[in-house]
Amino acid sequence: MEAFFGNLELGFTTALSLQNIALCFGGCLIGTLVGILPGVGPIATIAILLPLTFQVDPTGALIMLAGIYYGAQYGGSTTAILVNIPGEATSVVTTLDGHQMARNGRAGIALGVAAIGSFFAGTVATMVIAALGVPLTKLALIFGPAEYFSLMIMGLAFAVVLARGSILKAGAVIFVGLLLSTIGTDLQTGDERLTFGMIDLMDGIDFAVLAMGLFGFAEILRNLDNPETRDVVKTKIGRLLPSMQDFKDSALPVLRGTFLGGTLGILPGNGAVLGPFASYTLEKKLAKDPRRFGKGAIEGVAGPEAANNAGAQTAFIPLLTLGIPPNAVMALMVGAMTIHGIIPGPQVMTKTPELFWGMIASMWIGNLMLLIINLPLIGLWVRLLKVPYRLMFPAILLFCCIGIYSINNDAGDVLMTAFFGFAGYAFYKFGFEPAPLLLGFVLGKLMEEKLRQALILSRGDFATFVTSPVSAGLLLVAALVIVVAILPTVRKGREEAFLE
Amino acid sequence: MIRIRAPQETAAGLFLVVLAAVVFWQTSDLAVGTVRALGPGMMPRVLATLCGICGIALIVFSLIKDGAALERWSIRGPLFILGAAIVFGLTIRPLGLFVAGIATVILGSFASHDSRFVESVIFGVAMTTFCWLLFKVLLSLPIPVAPWLLGY
Amino acid sequence: MKRTFAAIAVAAATLTGASTSAWAQNYPTRPITMIVPFAAGGPTDVVARIVGESMSKTLGQQIVIENVAGAGGTTGITRGAQAQPDGYTIMMGHMGTHGAAPALYPKLRYDPTKDFAPIGMAAGTPILIVARKDYPAKDLKEFIARLKTEQDKANEAHAGVGSVSFTTCTMFNVMNGIKPTRVPYTGTGPVINDMIGGKVDYACDQIVNLVTQIQGGNIRAYAIATPARSPALPDVPTTKEAGLPDYQVSAWNAVFAPKNTPPAVVAKLNEALVKALDDPGTKKRLLDLGGVLPEGKERTSAWLGEYVAQEVARWTPILKAGGVVAP
Repeated sequence: MEAFFGNLELGFTTALSLQNIALCFGGCLIGTLVGILPGVGPIATIAILLPLTFQVDPTGALIMLAGIYYGAQYGGSTTAILVNIPGEATSVVTTLDGHQMARNGRAGIALGVAAIGSFFAGTVATMVIAALGVPLTKLALIFGPAEYFSLMIMGLAFAVVLARGSILKAGAVIFVGLLLSTIGTDLQTGDERLTFGMIDLMDGIDFAVLAMGLFGFAEILRNLDNPETRDVVKTKIGRLLPSMQDFKDSALPVLRGTFLGGTLGILPGNGAVLGPFASYTLEKKLAKDPRRFGKGAIEGVAGPEAANNAGAQTAFIPLLTLGIPPNAVMALMVGAMTIHGIIPGPQVMTKTPELFWGMIASMWIGNLMLLIINLPLIGLWVRLLKVPYRLMFPAILLFCCIGIYSINNDAGDVLMTAFFGFAGYAFYKFGFEPAPLLLGFVLGKLMEEKLRQALILSRGDFATFVTSPVSAGLLLVAALVIVVAILPTVRKGREEAFLE
Repeated sequence: MIRIRAPQETAAGLFLVVLAAVVFWQTSDLAVGTVRALGPGMMPRVLATLCGICGIALIVFSLIKDGAALERWSIRGPLFILGAAIVFGLTIRPLGLFVAGIATVILGSFASHDSRFVESVIFGVAMTTFCWLLFKVLLSLPIPVAPWLLGY
Repeated sequence: MKRTFAAIAVAAATLTGASTSAWAQNYPTRPITMIVPFAAGGPTDVVARIVGESMSKTLGQQIVIENVAGAGGTTGITRGAQAQPDGYTIMMGHMGTHGAAPALYPKLRYDPTKDFAPIGMAAGTPILIVARKDYPAKDLKEFIARLKTEQDKANEAHAGVGSVSFTTCTMFNVMNGIKPTRVPYTGTGPVINDMIGGKVDYACDQIVNLVTQIQGGNIRAYAIATPARSPALPDVPTTKEAGLPDYQVSAWNAVFAPKNTPPAVVAKLNEALVKALDDPGTKKRLLDLGGVLPEGKERTSAWLGEYVAQEVARWTPILKAGGVVAP
């Protein structure tokens, strides 16, 4: 325990140097900005800013880059709530109820709850990393291909619960999402799959391209079709900040979301992405009246946002303790560390303790800064919603185009997004929901990869998925979630049959 | 007598069936593999089969139960919004942000009935300048600005 | 008539020649884009950024890194090969894009030996043969012997078809007549994770991805495929010492310009690159990564051109023998 406080003290002394505070603030500010801009993600930004960090010491550089990363998570939810565009896979869930709250004139409250929930989750997660980071690494190592496959199956079960309408249609779009994830060069044989001979498709579809198409562009098209609902704020904007009642409603969801997101974030296979979905599923199941979900339920924002931010923080555990980056942004952090001559891995903690603990302390400081940056901005964002739609949509369009271009510096991506914009419009006309599709897409690649790895390693024996207790447990949860989701529909169907 | 009672569901079902067929056609030359070593064709075809089943189920239900009608598709919105995005994609590298950005905003504005031309021209110039400041000056992303004038 | 034409042609040629050289004298007058054909943060990207930073100082113009990832790096290099040969677009080529790619991608839209003006070798990162820490073999000889008897009972992990770990391990397997069960992953991170977790047996990869795991005892290194031991891992024997002298392979990174780039510009860039490699700060950074830097004639443009031809000639039969299905 003494060592723990000693470490924290070292961390805070490092992080509280004037230079590091400035870098942390700069990182958080830039992160918030790029998070808000649709399409421009932390990956492009961190890559651009890498050379700037040559001038500072490695600790300062990493504090700033980490700030960009979790700052972008904050900013991403702002865009999801205000204009219904998820910048990252983790903010897809926030669009469901967050944007509905904005439409009900409760944008300020949604943003406030998201910011405060994220701050709480970030604080808890930082403490978890500081206290348990090292032992928790073992959890990551338990997860082999079989366990990951089962985890992905559980994630898909959550996706069914996300749906507002018919279960059959939700299932269908998940399959479409999974299908889209199989596009590209086959991992094992190098065969081109479903690429229609297009070079742009050889590496598969980028998440941002699909999300900007299905949400960004299609949302504009949808709004243009319904002139009466297109202005986000029809009614007077109510309170800017959450009331006591709002806090009461969101306290427990935030707690549960922090736990779920923090736990899933530790898994090196980008488990963090499942956190918000898991939290949403849980809240919807626990709610007295699940029908409110999808119509602006505050729990549907508070829980997933907390899960999102907790996961974003605990995702540093596999990076800092194992040296294994769980996602693309973390891979970039590895690059940043190596450029500065620090090769991430188990030795970082003992060789450069001031870097390890300084970074952890800076995360907490960064979360506080984000709260300070974001709360006053809420007023500005909400006022931005009053811009007439005829000016708003061309601006969104332009931001999306530039953002998509900047992901790979590839103009072909913009054309592909236009295609998915049309697909999204068609889906809307068919009554399909885009959120489960995106989740299927995100999980699909990893699911197939892990399925194939597991079967290769077990030499084709499916028993591998049930002989591991972790894997069996996850599959059981998945089965339960599906049964619970389907039961009401079946019962309703029977009742209707009786009525006839 | 068979009557379509839920046109939206029928259309959605047909879409899924067509999608499944396209996937089967496109993956016909890919190996399915064995359980021990799944081939590249396995996953797409399993998923396409599931999509197809969902599609058929939707069509069948749409003949039994009443449901939503298929909404009218507009042409103006998709034409100008997606057209503007395509123009952006085609012009950003050869002509740079200043041409592509202004063109996108002006063209995109045509998607709405209540846009005013002069306003969107001014707005296009203003937004593009703002984006230049934001993306190029502040974030220094490698976006071509005006290659025909500046060389980058 | 013919003569006048020829005279005009000669005059024109001299004129443009003269103006080109004058233009090359002033080069560079604006920022230079360096295409890195892999995602930011990977070993090639890191080398490009370290070298580019130092070259910028010498050239007096910023070298802007543009990451264009895809199809084993060939997407970015294709774009680079088609760029204006004016010295303002250069690229960081790699063992994969300029060595293994022709064998892996028959539809490749560039020829590594013909479509580029080589500038110079930047840095290579050595390849290590590693296994899970409890693998029952005390040295490389025992390891190979055991793999030969186990054959497809052994699980080799690689980071996807076309990746460095895939091509270099194909070479290792072909050389020793091993046909393991090859388990594909997407990237090195998950490979290492499952190796630490004991789920797969062995892999080949770049030192920079492995060094701390080996130092920490999480995985076991059998040999390093360079002529000399690495200062970062002094206990790991070279393949020569360990009894596999022909396994010499490094994931090299070298700077290229599109073909027809004026020789004066190539010379200027080569000069800046060599200066970067001599800069103590840059050198230290590259060596910290476990990098191997070119010396003497290996730093010339001409040598790089020959080396690329050798690499293409070397990889094609190996990958064919490894039964790689080209997409």
